[in-house]
Formats: sequence, C-alpha cells, structure tokens
Amino acid sequence: MFNQNNIYNSAFAKLQSVNYLLLGLIITLFFVGLAALFSISNGDFNSWPLKHSQRFILGLIVFFIVILFDLRIIFGYAYVIFFLSIVSLAIIPFFGVESNGATRWINIAGISLQPSEFVKYTLILALAKYFHSINNNSSFIKTLIIPLIITIVPVLLVITQPDLGTALIILLGGISLFWISGLNYKYFIVGVFSILCSLPVLWQYLKDYQKDRVLTFFNPERDPLGNGYHIMQSKIALGSGGIFGKGYMEGTQSHLNFLPEMQTDFIFTMLGEEFGFIGTLILLFIYAALIITSIRLALKSRSLFSKYLSLGVCNVFFIYVFVNIGMVTGLLPVVGVPLPFISYGGSSMLAVMFGFGLLMNCYINRNIIIEKTNY
Amino acid sequence: MKKSGKFIFQKYDTENLINRRAALVTIAQASVFSLLVGRLAYLQIAENSNYKKLSDKNRITHRFLEPERGIIFDLQGRPMAINKQKYEIIIIKEETKDVERSLVNLKSILPDANIEIKKILKEVNLRKKFIPIGIVDDLTWEDFSKINVNIHKLEGIYPQIGFKRYYTQGESHSHLIGYVSQINESEEKSNPLSKLSTAKAGKMGVEKAKDAILRGKLGNKNIEVNASGREIRELDRVNSVQGNYIQLTIDSELQKFCYERLKGLSGSVSVINVKNGEFYALASSPSYDPNIFGKSISNETWENLLSDKYKPLINKSISNQYPPGSTIKPFVALAALESGVSHKETFFCDGKHLIEDTSLDSGYKTFHCWKKEGHGNVDMKEAIKVSCDVYFYQIARRIGINKIAEVCKRYGLGEKVFKSFYEEKSGVVPNKQWKLENLGSRWMVGETLSAGIGQGYFLTTTAQLSLALAQLINNGNKLYPKLIFDNEIPNVYDERIIANPSYLKIIKNALYEATNSPGGTSYRSRIIGNYKMAGKTGTSQVRAISIKEREEGLIKNKDLPWEKRDHGLFIGYGPTTDPKYAVSVIVEHGGSGSGSAAPIASDIFKYLFEKKINLKRNEIFNV
Repeated sequence: MFNQNNIYNSAFAKLQSVNYLLLGLIITLFFVGLAALFSISNGDFNSWPLKHSQRFILGLIVFFIVILFDLRIIFGYAYVIFFLSIVSLAIIPFFGVESNGATRWINIAGISLQPSEFVKYTLILALAKYFHSINNNSSFIKTLIIPLIITIVPVLLVITQPDLGTALIILLGGISLFWISGLNYKYFIVGVFSILCSLPVLWQYLKDYQKDRVLTFFNPERDPLGNGYHIMQSKIALGSGGIFGKGYMEGTQSHLNFLPEMQTDFIFTMLGEEFGFIGTLILLFIYAALIITSIRLALKSRSLFSKYLSLGVCNVFFIYVFVNIGMVTGLLPVVGVPLPFISYGGSSMLAVMFGFGLLMNCYINRNIIIEKTNY
Repeated sequence: MKKSGKFIFQKYDTENLINRRAALVTIAQASVFSLLVGRLAYLQIAENSNYKKLSDKNRITHRFLEPERGIIFDLQGRPMAINKQKYEIIIIKEETKDVERSLVNLKSILPDANIEIKKILKEVNLRKKFIPIGIVDDLTWEDFSKINVNIHKLEGIYPQIGFKRYYTQGESHSHLIGYVSQINESEEKSNPLSKLSTAKAGKMGVEKAKDAILRGKLGNKNIEVNASGREIRELDRVNSVQGNYIQLTIDSELQKFCYERLKGLSGSVSVINVKNGEFYALASSPSYDPNIFGKSISNETWENLLSDKYKPLINKSISNQYPPGSTIKPFVALAALESGVSHKETFFCDGKHLIEDTSLDSGYKTFHCWKKEGHGNVDMKEAIKVSCDVYFYQIARRIGINKIAEVCKRYGLGEKVFKSFYEEKSGVVPNKQWKLENLGSRWMVGETLSAGIGQGYFLTTTAQLSLALAQLINNGNKLYPKLIFDNEIPNVYDERIIANPSYLKIIKNALYEATNSPGGTSYRSRIIGNYKMAGKTGTSQVRAISIKEREEGLIKNKDLPWEKRDHGLFIGYGPTTDPKYAVSVIVEHGGSGSGSAAPIASDIFKYLFEKKINLKRNEIFNV
C-alpha cells in the first residue's frame, strides 16, 4: 500500500513546514552554550565543546525523528511512552548508577541517561492525552484525582533518587497543564494552601543536605564555605561582571575555579561574568523570544491534545530557565537544574530536543483533529 | 455527576478558556522574566562595585618575599657567613580548607620529619591567613622530591627553596659571628621580618649585634590565586633587598689558629692591633657547630650544650669575667709612677706583708707573696719581672684604691669594649664609691692590697685586657676598639692617655725583661729571633686560701679538682722593637699564667711574626 515516494514526499513536506524561527532560536542558544563551554575549557574545543556539539547533533536527530511521526501515532502511544519512562525511573534503584550520593542515571548501550529529564515531557504527553480525552462534565475523580495520581507517581520516584529540583519541575510542569486545561482556579487556591500547611511535615522528609540548601538559601552567610559558598561565589561572579562584563575568557571567578559546577548548573553565571548585564539581557531576550514563539505556535493547533502538549512543553521549558537563573542569582535555593541548550549535559539536551520535537510536530500537524478516544 | 463536572471546569467554551489561561500563563512568565532582569540589574549594575571588590579579594592575595641576609666577611675579604639554598616546606592557611588534614597527610609522606602538628596549628591560627608558616626547615633533596610528587594530597602546602645561613669557618668563629634562629616573641615588634614566619634573626655575636643591618628588607608581591589558593600569576612585586655586607676586622686564619691552640682547654684569646684598635682574633673554647642551628636543633643537643661544664655556648672572650691577677701590675705600676713613686725605689719582700686588723686574734692580717720565701729587695722593674706581690701591696697601699681604679678605667678596664654585643660583660674596677654603692659598706685597706695584685673585686675580660695593654704600648694613644669596619670610626684617637711617655719606657722595659731575661715569669715562653714578645703573666685565684691550708703547705694546682684550680692569664705584645700586636690569653683553671697562658700567647706571636707580620685589610666593599 505504501508508496516509497509518498513517504519521502510527506517527510519532505514536514521538513518544509518546520518553523525555522523556533529552530533558529534553538540553534542560537546552542551556540551560546558552545561559546560558554569553549571559554570554560580555556579554549580547548576537544573537551566540553566537542561533546556538547555531538549531543546537540544527536538532539537534532531526535527532534527530526519526533517530527516525522504522525501526530496520531504519538497520541496513540502517549500512555505507553509515559509508562516506559516511569518504568525506567522505577528500575533506577536496581540498575542505576550512583554519583554524588544520588542515583539518577541508567546505562543504556553504554550511554548514561537520566530518565527524570525525559519524564518531564512524557508526563506532559500523558496529561495532554488525558485532558484531551475527558469530557467537560467528567466526574471529580476523573478530572482531578486520576491526573493527580499520574503526576504524583513520577514526582515521588524522582524525590526518592533523591532529586528534589527535578521532582519540583515535574510537579510544576504537570500542575501547569491542570491550569491550562481549565481546572477551576479554586482548586489551585486550596492546593497552594494545603501545600503551605504540609510544609512542616514535608520538611521532616528532606535529606540533611537538602535542608542545608534551603536554610542556606535564606541566609547564604550562614555557611560561607559550604553551601553558601556556591551562591556567594555565583553572585560575586555576576555582580563583578558589571554592565559590559570582564570580556570573553577573562572571567576571574570562572577561570580561577571559584565558581562551582560552572559547566553545568552555573554556566549562566560564567556568561554573566564575562558578558555583563548586556550579555545576560540578550540571553534572557533569546529565551523570551523562544518561549513566545512556542506559545504562538502552540495556540495555532486545532486539537486540544496539541495545545495541551505544546503549552505543556513550553511551560516546562520556562520553568527550567526560571529555576536555573533564579538559582544562580540567589532568588531560589540551589536545586541543581541545568540551563537548557547551554548547560553541559546529555540527558537534558536530548530531553529538551525531544520536547521541542513534540511541540514542532503539533505545529506541523496543527490542522489535524484528533477524536476523543475511550481510554 | 453533571453538577459536579460543571463545578470542576469553568463554564466557558474550552477553546476560549485555554486561550485565556495561556494568556495568563504568558503574563505570569513575562513578569517572572522581568523579575529576573531586575535581579540581574541589581547584581550587575547597582551592586557591581561591591562584588568587584569581593571578586578581587577572592583572586588577589599577598605574599612577603624573604630577603637574603647580608654576608659577613673577614679582614681579608673571605666570606665567613653566607647563604645557601635550602629546601623547606611551608603551609598557607588561606590555601587549604583543612590545615590539619594537609599536615596529617604530610606526616604520612615524611614519617621521619619532626612535624609537631599541634604546634603548627597554633601558629597558623595566630598569623594572618596569607602568611606562610614553616613546617620543615631543611629538607633533603629526596624528601623534597617526595613532596613534589605528592603535592596533590597536600592542599596549602608548598615545597620551596629558601635561604639557610652557612658558616664557612665552623666552630672556630661561632661565638664571635653567632648564629641565626627563629624570631622569638620578644623580637617580633622590633623586627619587620617577623611578618614572615620562616624568617630568622641573629641570636648571638655579630649576627645579633648587627641584625638590623644584615637582615635586609622584606619584599612583597600581589598574586592572583585560584579557588584552591594556588598561585596563578603575579600582579606586581616589590623585590626584597639583601642585607648589607659586613666586614670584620677578624683574620679568619688567625682566629682559627687561636681556636686550635685553645683546643682541649677552656679559655679565650684576644688579638688586637695596638696601632688602630682592630681586633684580629677573639677566640673562645670550647665551642659548638654554628651550622646546627640552621636545622631545627634537637632538644638533646641543646640541653647538652647548656649543661656542659665547660660552657661551650659562652663567648669567654667578652662574656666571662675574671680577676686580672698579676696582669694588672703594669697598670698599678703606672698609677704609682703617676703618683710620684720612683721606679728606683725598692721594697723588701720577705714573702708576706702584714696589716693591722683588730678583728683578728693576732691583730694582724697577713698578705702573702706568691713566693713563700720572698724576693728580697725589689724595684719596680724587678717587681714586674718576677711579679712580686709584696711590692705591689705596698705601693697600692701608698697610692690608694681610687688612683689605681682611675688609671685602670682610663685604659678601658671595667668598661665594655664593643658595646653592641648584648652578651658582653663590662667587668669591675672597684673603688671606694663603687663598694659603697654596690655592697653598701666601706672600703677596707686590705681590699686595696688585693686590688693591687688584681684580686678581690677586680673583674675583667680577655678583650678588655688586650685593649688596655694595646693602649699602654702604643705610647698611650686611646684606641677605638674595632671589630666591624665602619668608615665613620677614625683609626686613632687624638687623645693621649699617658701622663708622661717616659713612664711607658719603664713599664715596657720591665715587661721585656719579664719575658726575655732569666728569672722573668714568662721566660720559658720567650721567642728567640728578630721579633720578640714581651708580657706579663697572671694567676688569679678562684677561692680564698685559708690559714690552715697555708700552714699545711699549699696544695699543688694539679692536685685540685678542675673547678678549683687558678685561672692562668697572660697579656703580651710584640714585636718588641715596633709593637704591632697585643695579645691576651686566659685559660680557665689553667693553674698558672706562666704554665698555661704564656705558652699559648707565645705560639700566637710566633705565628703572627712568621705569617701575619703585615696583616692588613683587604676591602670588599667595592665588589
């Protein structure tokens, strides 16, 4: 039945209808990251910059593979994909690789992956399908309890790794979809209130280092050589960058190793030190442009599933950026979240490209109408 | 069901609702971004100068640079105290997060090194965080390379090349030159080098006396460091300035000869140029190896040096005081001449001299001559030649203690020779006032008699005796005693300190006979040849001899325990035709001056006449 030409033609047509503004912004961010890593590795392209490029190319492949799938197939397998990602999370305690006291990675064919990065997007996928499928007049259990359970399961699994930062992003990403899907705002008020009330209880379950981080966030001088050290040094780097920065590859805080984790979570700081306020403003502008473009594309879809999925991806991306920059500027506690497209890290790169692949797929197939299915 | 469903979802049409909600999300996101922009503006613009300072404080730190110590040369320009490279280990507090761990690691790498972790920790905490604290002072090359290999385990610890003081002349010069060691607490305030914990200061001798000149000036540098404190690059530097060179008047070969000659004895030698006051030798025996203080000296070695009964740490040429004994007699004779006593006047010596003393049963106190049977009739020349005590009892009694003291002081006795040496003692020239002030009692006639033969309260040093003789022999020209060349000191005073040059002839003649004519006290030590020496022996008692002992017959010195034997002294000059050198020798508990000190002086003069008759300075300062 299938005609070879047909497949090629439709693939070609899909590539043609990709929004190149969005892709262009993504590639721009990648190059910013490349430049940052080049500076951090003191001009040695073969260390971090090379691997970062390889990962981005791998990410682009993932992006295009996701685009080529029919949106209906993605819709059809949404729960399966979510289930598989949950399974990969669940087996981590048995097959995972430990590093720095947390077990977050699994090895698949020699590649170390962090399933929690992908779960952020597969959860959106599952929730998008779920909210698409229920009726306006579905029961309380169907409209609130079941999607809450869907959200809580991966969050709990990630918390136990332990990785509080990622768990919070997954939770926020999921909740953002509750909002988009039109859940009555009163639930959000009740929800926020009950979380505030349960904070003292949740506090008991935090690991010591997590408690430390939170306490240090409220008072960085509490422990200037321990946890407060990172955030103090990060602020010093940003602040000393001034308006115009110290110049490319001239950052003293980064090049003299005062910055912690500067190739991953604190890479923004290093850019802020070397390019100053102008540099950080431009970077924020690129992120804003990417998010606005994404929202614009998302709203063009005709099916609810597409809208939910695209906006969900968009929200997760936004949360990523906000938590990372908020963290390095001292607005948020240090939770260990990478800066998408710029931080050095394989799983996060692949996952974010996977997410934008889904978003772009929705855009390309914006006119497809997906029927409600009985799940 | 339907009702609850309506409750759960807002009652708008879904499409519209999503758009509205998405718009709200976008607004929320936009405000969050504004917040981030505001935060960045605050950090990077408003607080920029603060953070800039913090960033500089992070990366820039301060190091002091140790100056090289000035070199000490001898008369001929031979270096005697130099600086050698040494391998040392230091720790810098700001460069490690855990000082103790680094020290423990170091100890495991160098198990044999003497590393007192507690002591070092205490010192680290006392000092500023950027000040390097010395851990091991002098390392072998093997250990040094071991540290370099394991440097990654030793955060904050640096192997570095420093300076160590090395004394080329070894123990023959150790008292004179002294040594350097850690700066101690009492010196910290006055010594700018104390900012550097590895710096040393002079502890004795010239090293201490001239420390301010020798130490040089600290340099410093600002350096950029990374987060673990390692130096990345130097930002600016003020080089340290080496300490000034010092040239001593000491001839190291002569000094060595004197020291060798004293070996096996406890005593000292002083050699001075009678024409310009330059000291050519100041030797003290026994001695110690000055180079052991460069390394951390072990407690055992230190205790041994301290408890040694021959006192190797003391410079006996200036720090030990002795009764001058008969070596005082030329000066007492001079005092007599100045008081109008004729040198031809004779006194009868029957071996003893009596003075009234009502406190004794017999009503008399007896003063003995060293020669029990007496010298018979003696004039001044004979009295000096044979060292007749009775003669000097009588003239001392006649001219009085104050005249004796005045002459002795004029010639430099009872006064520090060099003044700059903290370990130097001044000696004592007693008179009536002195006794009243220091002992609170009146002067007794008998004490004048003791003073007339250099006993009693009289105390001098070896260096003092040589200077006093030099000033007498050079026709009474007052000298500036010199040990360190300093252009501001003139060679000779314009001041003559002899009342009448004809007196000098009488005394010189007597001293010549004492050595060169049969019956003289140092006749056995005379030098035969073109150049001759002349001098006066002295034997000073270290204990009172009781009447009972005298009745039973004097115990020979060699039968007494070492500590109770008499000191042997000798002062002499030469060549007798045109005197150039004055020498004083004191041999502690040597028995007698003629037996122990005079032969040493004789050997030194022989050496001087043969090898050093034209001894003079070879300037190094133009180098």
